[in-house]
Amino acid sequence: MSKNLGIFVTNPDSMHHVMGITKAAKDKGSKVKVFFTWKGTLLSKDPQFPALCELADDVSICADSYKKMGYEVSDIPVGLTNDKMATQAQHGAIIEDYDYYLTL
Amino acid sequence: MSKKVCFIYQNEDYVLDGMRSALGLAVENMYAFAAVATEIAELDEHNKENLEWIRDMEGEVFSNVQANCDKNDMTPITLEELGKHIREMDIVVPYGTY
Amino acid sequence: MKILHIYRNEPNADCKKLVEVVAEGNDNDHVKLFEGTPDYNKVVDMIFAADKTISWW
Repeated sequence: MSKNLGIFVTNPDSMHHVMGITKAAKDKGSKVKVFFTWKGTLLSKDPQFPALCELADDVSICADSYKKMGYEVSDIPVGLTNDKMATQAQHGAIIEDYDYYLTL
Repeated sequence: MSKKVCFIYQNEDYVLDGMRSALGLAVENMYAFAAVATEIAELDEHNKENLEWIRDMEGEVFSNVQANCDKNDMTPITLEELGKHIREMDIVVPYGTY
Repeated sequence: MKILHIYRNEPNADCKKLVEVVAEGNDNDHVKLFEGTPDYNKVVDMIFAADKTISWW
């Protein structure tokens, strides 16, 4: 059975690692969920972000953090939908529902 | 069984939101701990409330910086003790960056 | 317990101390993401082989 991985992103300099790990895990048939919070939400404007949303099984960001980074919550990043403008409950879901956990 | 999670902060810019993130897990019925390993300014009322909420939900906010314990009522801990504490955690979150 | 320590940056003194205490008595692996281009395929294999992964700052 394939293993699944949850990634919690708080570091705005980690997009290359998020992409690299997600791609490698997907290549192994794993399910991958990524949640961005605080300064990590700045990465929702990274040119690679839409590709990450295609690659991973579930991508969401903390809407409150995104707002604190100076964005309007109505300005939904390319690749996301309104329901993925989420809360810290997504971090809880990673911890509860995913076998393997990584912070980046 | 409820998971035990400890956040650790090394950069002041990440502490307040990191405490909010810890509180977010506490309300998800996890044991959420936070450890502040850098000196921060005095907490405002909102963040003092977040700290108290973490405690009320059977978590704790530690610091190895005496000034944080004096100013912000954080629970003193040494790095050695913090290391022992996080050995007991299901999840360790070195939050943000240096 | 098998613990994977991932370093996103060069570890500082606090990080080294915490790793030392956490590592004691455990079976530890260490990966530096800050040196060169990481072999993400190998890193994911190591995450899946570990009981716990700590990704230090």
